[in-house]
Amino acid sequence: MNCAEFQKVLPYIIETGGDTEEEAHLASCPVCSDLVQDLRYIAEQAKLLLPMRDPSPKVWDNIQDSLQREGLVKPARARGRLLGSSAKLAW
Amino acid sequence: MTTAKKLVAPGISEAEAIDRAKGGDTECFELLYGLHKRRVYSLCLRMTGNTAEAEDLTQEAFLQLYRKIATFRGESAFSTWLHRLAVNVVLMHLRKKGLPEVSLEETLEPQQEDGPKKDIGARDNVLAGSIDRVNLERAIESLPPGYRIIFVLHDIEGYEHNEIAEMMGCSIGNSKSQLHKARMKLRDLLKTSRAEKAARR
Repeated sequence: MNCAEFQKVLPYIIETGGDTEEEAHLASCPVCSDLVQDLRYIAEQAKLLLPMRDPSPKVWDNIQDSLQREGLVKPARARGRLLGSSAKLAW
Repeated sequence: MTTAKKLVAPGISEAEAIDRAKGGDTECFELLYGLHKRRVYSLCLRMTGNTAEAEDLTQEAFLQLYRKIATFRGESAFSTWLHRLAVNVVLMHLRKKGLPEVSLEETLEPQQEDGPKKDIGARDNVLAGSIDRVNLERAIESLPPGYRIIFVLHDIEGYEHNEIAEMMGCSIGNSKSQLHKARMKLRDLLKTSRAEKAARR
Protein backbone atom coordinates (compact mmCIF):
# COMPACT_ATOMS: atom_id res chain seq x y z
CA MET A 1 0.00 0.00 0.00
CA ASN A 2 1.34 3.43 -0.86
CA CYS A 3 0.61 6.81 0.69
CA ALA A 4 -2.02 7.75 -1.89
CA GLU A 5 -3.97 4.58 -1.25
CA PHE A 6 -3.70 4.97 2.51
CA GLN A 7 -4.74 8.63 2.53
CA LYS A 8 -7.70 7.83 0.31
CA VAL A 9 -9.19 5.56 2.97
CA LEU A 10 -7.95 7.57 5.94
CA PRO A 11 -11.25 9.50 6.45
CA TYR A 12 -13.06 6.23 6.99
CA ILE A 13 -10.56 4.50 9.25
CA ILE A 14 -9.04 7.26 11.35
CA GLU A 15 -11.44 6.69 14.21
CA THR A 16 -11.97 2.97 14.03
CA GLY A 17 -8.60 1.78 12.77
CA GLY A 18 -7.74 0.13 9.48
CA ASP A 19 -7.16 -3.38 8.27
CA THR A 20 -3.84 -5.15 8.56
CA GLU A 21 -2.40 -3.62 5.42
CA GLU A 22 -3.51 -0.12 6.34
CA GLU A 23 -2.15 -0.36 9.86
CA ALA A 24 1.11 -1.76 8.51
CA HIS A 25 1.48 1.22 6.20
CA LEU A 26 0.74 3.62 9.07
CA ALA A 27 3.32 1.93 11.26
CA SER A 28 6.00 2.14 8.61
CA CYS A 29 5.36 5.48 6.93
CA PRO A 30 6.52 8.62 8.76
CA VAL A 31 4.60 10.93 6.44
CA CYS A 32 1.25 9.27 6.97
CA SER A 33 2.01 8.73 10.62
CA ASP A 34 2.66 12.44 11.11
CA LEU A 35 -0.50 13.27 9.20
CA VAL A 36 -2.65 11.01 11.37
CA GLN A 37 -1.00 12.36 14.49
CA ASP A 38 -1.79 15.93 13.45
CA LEU A 39 -5.39 15.19 12.57
CA ARG A 40 -6.01 13.36 15.82
CA TYR A 41 -4.34 16.15 17.76
CA ILE A 42 -6.61 18.74 16.13
CA ALA A 43 -9.68 16.65 17.03
CA GLU A 44 -8.48 16.26 20.62
CA GLN A 45 -7.84 19.97 21.02
CA ALA A 46 -11.24 20.78 19.59
CA LYS A 47 -12.91 18.68 22.25
CA LEU A 48 -11.27 20.85 24.87
CA LEU A 49 -12.71 24.08 23.50
CA LEU A 50 -15.11 25.52 26.02
CA PRO A 51 -18.26 27.49 25.30
CA MET A 52 -16.88 30.81 24.32
CA ARG A 53 -18.86 33.66 25.73
CA ASP A 54 -22.29 34.89 26.67
CA PRO A 55 -24.61 36.60 24.21
CA SER A 56 -25.21 40.28 24.79
CA PRO A 57 -27.96 41.22 27.26
CA LYS A 58 -30.15 42.40 24.40
CA VAL A 59 -30.75 38.77 23.41
CA TRP A 60 -32.71 38.21 26.62
CA ASP A 61 -34.48 41.56 26.15
CA ASN A 62 -35.51 40.50 22.66
CA ILE A 63 -36.75 37.14 23.96
CA GLN A 64 -38.90 38.93 26.53
CA ASP A 65 -40.25 41.31 23.88
CA SER A 66 -41.09 38.45 21.55
CA LEU A 67 -42.89 36.47 24.24
CA GLN A 68 -44.90 39.55 25.14
CA ARG A 69 -45.77 40.23 21.51
CA GLU A 70 -46.93 36.65 21.13
CA GLY A 71 -49.10 37.07 24.18
CA LEU A 72 -47.34 34.27 26.00
CA VAL A 73 -46.37 36.49 28.89
CA LYS A 74 -47.43 39.82 30.25
CA PRO A 75 -44.99 42.57 31.13
CA ALA A 76 -44.49 42.92 34.87
CA ARG A 77 -45.71 46.12 36.48
CA ALA A 78 -42.78 46.18 38.86
CA ARG A 79 -39.32 45.94 37.37
CA GLY A 80 -37.09 43.45 39.02
CA ARG A 81 -33.72 41.92 38.43
CA LEU A 82 -33.08 38.25 38.06
CA LEU A 83 -29.94 36.87 36.59
CA GLY A 84 -29.04 40.26 35.23
CA SER A 85 -32.21 40.75 33.18
CA SER A 86 -33.54 44.24 33.13
CA ALA A 87 -37.20 43.37 33.55
CA LYS A 88 -39.03 40.56 35.20
CA LEU A 89 -41.55 38.65 33.15
CA ALA A 90 -44.86 37.95 34.80
CA TRP A 91 -47.31 35.25 34.02
CA MET B 1 -25.21 15.14 43.55
CA THR B 2 -26.90 14.45 40.20
CA THR B 3 -27.50 17.14 37.67
CA ALA B 4 -31.20 16.91 38.40
CA LYS B 5 -30.64 17.66 42.05
CA LYS B 6 -28.03 20.36 41.54
CA LEU B 7 -29.48 23.64 42.71
CA VAL B 8 -29.74 26.35 40.06
CA ALA B 9 -31.25 28.88 42.43
CA PRO B 10 -31.89 28.83 46.18
CA GLY B 11 -34.05 25.79 46.78
CA ILE B 12 -34.61 25.03 43.09
CA SER B 13 -32.97 22.21 41.18
CA GLU B 14 -32.74 22.25 37.39
CA ALA B 15 -35.37 19.52 37.21
CA GLU B 16 -37.74 21.63 39.29
CA ALA B 17 -37.00 24.71 37.19
CA ILE B 18 -37.85 22.72 34.06
CA ASP B 19 -41.10 21.46 35.54
CA ARG B 20 -42.08 24.94 36.62
CA ALA B 21 -41.12 26.44 33.26
CA LYS B 22 -43.36 23.85 31.61
CA GLY B 23 -46.17 25.22 33.73
CA GLY B 24 -45.49 28.75 32.55
CA ASP B 25 -43.20 29.94 35.34
CA THR B 26 -41.25 32.59 33.49
CA GLU B 27 -38.80 33.16 36.29
CA CYS B 28 -37.77 29.55 35.99
CA PHE B 29 -37.54 29.93 32.24
CA GLU B 30 -35.18 32.80 32.85
CA LEU B 31 -33.15 30.57 35.16
CA LEU B 32 -32.85 28.02 32.38
CA TYR B 33 -31.81 30.75 29.97
CA GLY B 34 -29.09 31.83 32.34
CA LEU B 35 -27.84 28.29 32.71
CA HIS B 36 -27.68 27.43 29.04
CA LYS B 37 -27.22 30.67 27.12
CA ARG B 38 -23.45 30.43 26.88
CA ARG B 39 -23.34 26.97 25.38
CA VAL B 40 -26.19 27.67 22.95
CA TYR B 41 -24.66 30.97 21.85
CA SER B 42 -21.21 29.43 21.46
CA LEU B 43 -22.65 26.70 19.30
CA CYS B 44 -24.47 29.23 17.11
CA LEU B 45 -21.37 31.40 16.85
CA ARG B 46 -19.05 28.57 15.94
CA MET B 47 -21.46 27.23 13.33
CA THR B 48 -22.18 30.58 11.69
CA GLY B 49 -18.99 32.50 12.32
CA ASN B 50 -21.07 35.65 12.70
CA THR B 51 -21.92 37.42 15.97
CA ALA B 52 -25.16 39.03 14.85
CA GLU B 53 -26.48 35.83 13.31
CA ALA B 54 -25.47 33.87 16.38
CA GLU B 55 -27.41 36.24 18.64
CA ASP B 56 -30.49 36.04 16.44
CA LEU B 57 -30.28 32.26 16.40
CA THR B 58 -29.77 32.09 20.16
CA GLN B 59 -32.89 34.17 20.58
CA GLU B 60 -34.82 31.91 18.23
CA ALA B 61 -33.58 28.77 19.96
CA PHE B 62 -34.81 29.96 23.34
CA LEU B 63 -38.12 31.14 21.92
CA GLN B 64 -38.59 27.67 20.49
CA LEU B 65 -37.60 26.26 23.84
CA TYR B 66 -40.35 28.27 25.51
CA ARG B 67 -42.92 27.06 23.02
CA LYS B 68 -41.79 23.43 23.11
CA ILE B 69 -40.65 22.85 26.67
CA ALA B 70 -43.89 21.10 27.51
CA THR B 71 -42.84 18.34 25.11
CA PHE B 72 -39.62 17.59 26.97
CA ARG B 73 -40.09 14.15 28.46
CA GLY B 74 -36.79 13.67 30.23
CA GLU B 75 -35.72 10.82 27.98
CA SER B 76 -32.43 12.60 27.47
CA ALA B 77 -30.67 15.22 29.54
CA PHE B 78 -32.30 18.62 29.19
CA SER B 79 -29.05 20.15 27.98
CA THR B 80 -28.82 17.49 25.25
CA TRP B 81 -32.39 18.15 24.17
CA LEU B 82 -31.91 21.91 24.12
CA HIS B 83 -28.64 21.55 22.31
CA ARG B 84 -30.23 19.49 19.57
CA LEU B 85 -33.00 22.05 19.27
CA ALA B 86 -30.40 24.79 18.84
CA VAL B 87 -28.52 22.79 16.20
CA ASN B 88 -31.75 22.38 14.25
CA VAL B 89 -32.45 26.10 14.47
CA VAL B 90 -29.01 26.87 13.05
CA LEU B 91 -29.26 24.30 10.28
CA MET B 92 -32.72 25.55 9.29
CA HIS B 93 -31.34 29.07 9.10
CA LEU B 94 -28.38 27.97 6.98
CA ARG B 95 -30.66 26.08 4.61
CA LYS B 96 -32.83 29.16 4.17
CA LYS B 97 -29.69 31.11 3.35
CA GLY B 98 -29.09 28.68 0.54
CA LEU B 99 -26.29 26.71 2.06
CA PRO B 100 -26.46 23.34 0.35
CA GLU B 101 -27.30 20.41 2.62
CA VAL B 102 -23.77 19.29 2.25
CA SER B 103 -21.96 22.38 1.26
CA LEU B 104 -19.37 20.51 2.32
CA GLU B 105 -18.76 20.15 -1.27
CA GLU B 106 -15.65 21.02 -2.87
CA THR B 107 -14.20 24.26 -1.83
CA LEU B 108 -10.69 23.12 -2.45
CA GLU B 109 -8.99 23.10 -5.78
CA PRO B 110 -8.71 19.56 -7.11
CA GLN B 111 -4.95 19.57 -7.00
CA GLN B 112 -5.03 20.31 -3.32
CA GLU B 113 -7.03 17.22 -2.72
CA ASP B 114 -5.32 14.83 -5.05
CA GLY B 115 -2.14 13.10 -4.16
CA PRO B 116 -0.77 12.12 -0.83
CA LYS B 117 0.97 14.49 1.49
CA LYS B 118 4.68 14.12 0.91
CA ASP B 119 6.32 16.10 3.62
CA ILE B 120 9.38 13.94 3.45
CA GLY B 121 11.80 14.75 6.17
CA ALA B 122 9.34 17.02 7.97
CA ARG B 123 9.04 15.00 11.17
CA ASP B 124 9.68 18.14 13.20
CA ASN B 125 6.61 19.85 11.76
CA VAL B 126 3.98 17.88 13.63
CA LEU B 127 1.44 20.05 15.35
CA ALA B 128 1.39 18.28 18.69
CA GLY B 129 1.92 20.72 21.51
CA SER B 130 1.87 23.79 19.31
CA ILE B 131 -1.82 24.67 19.09
CA ASP B 132 -3.32 27.18 21.46
CA ARG B 133 -7.02 27.77 21.90
CA VAL B 134 -7.02 31.21 20.27
CA ASN B 135 -5.31 30.02 17.11
CA LEU B 136 -7.56 27.02 16.85
CA GLU B 137 -10.69 29.15 17.28
CA ARG B 138 -9.44 31.55 14.61
CA ALA B 139 -8.67 28.72 12.24
CA ILE B 140 -12.12 27.23 12.76
CA GLU B 141 -13.70 30.62 12.08
CA SER B 142 -11.91 30.82 8.78
CA LEU B 143 -13.03 27.41 7.55
CA PRO B 144 -15.48 27.37 4.63
CA PRO B 145 -19.01 27.16 6.07
CA GLY B 146 -19.68 23.56 5.10
CA TYR B 147 -16.45 22.31 6.62
CA ARG B 148 -16.97 24.41 9.72
CA ILE B 149 -20.44 22.99 10.37
CA ILE B 150 -19.30 19.39 10.22
CA PHE B 151 -16.21 20.07 12.30
CA VAL B 152 -18.16 21.91 14.97
CA LEU B 153 -20.84 19.25 15.14
CA HIS B 154 -18.42 16.32 15.33
CA ASP B 155 -15.21 17.42 16.96
CA ILE B 156 -16.49 20.17 19.24
CA GLU B 157 -20.07 19.25 19.99
CA GLY B 158 -19.54 15.50 19.94
CA TYR B 159 -22.22 14.35 17.52
CA GLU B 160 -21.60 11.02 15.84
CA HIS B 161 -21.46 10.68 12.07
CA ASN B 162 -24.81 8.88 11.94
CA GLU B 163 -26.41 11.79 13.81
CA ILE B 164 -24.75 14.35 11.56
CA ALA B 165 -25.79 12.44 8.47
CA GLU B 166 -29.39 12.50 9.65
CA MET B 167 -29.26 16.21 10.49
CA MET B 168 -27.53 17.20 7.29
CA GLY B 169 -29.31 14.85 4.94
CA CYS B 170 -26.11 13.24 3.78
CA SER B 171 -24.52 9.82 4.03
CA ILE B 172 -22.28 8.73 6.88
CA GLY B 173 -19.46 8.34 4.40
CA ASN B 174 -19.95 11.89 3.23
CA SER B 175 -19.89 13.16 6.81
CA LYS B 176 -16.59 11.35 7.42
CA SER B 177 -15.12 12.61 4.17
CA GLN B 178 -16.04 16.22 4.85
CA LEU B 179 -14.82 16.06 8.43
CA HIS B 180 -11.52 14.83 7.12
CA LYS B 181 -11.32 17.71 4.69
CA ALA B 182 -12.13 20.15 7.48
CA ARG B 183 -9.34 18.76 9.64
CA MET B 184 -6.91 18.82 6.71
CA LYS B 185 -7.76 22.44 6.05
CA LEU B 186 -7.28 23.25 9.72
CA ARG B 187 -3.94 21.49 9.67
CA ASP B 188 -2.83 23.68 6.78
CA LEU B 189 -4.10 26.84 8.45
CA LEU B 190 -2.44 26.04 11.76
CA LYS B 191 0.86 25.16 10.16
CA THR B 192 0.82 28.37 8.15
CA SER B 193 0.02 30.35 11.26
CA ARG B 194 2.84 28.69 13.13
CA ALA B 195 5.30 29.36 10.32
CA GLU B 196 4.27 33.02 10.13
CA LYS B 197 4.69 33.38 13.86
CA ALA B 198 8.15 31.81 13.70
CA ALA B 199 9.15 34.09 10.83
CA ARG B 200 8.23 37.17 12.87
CA ARG B 201 10.66 36.27 15.63
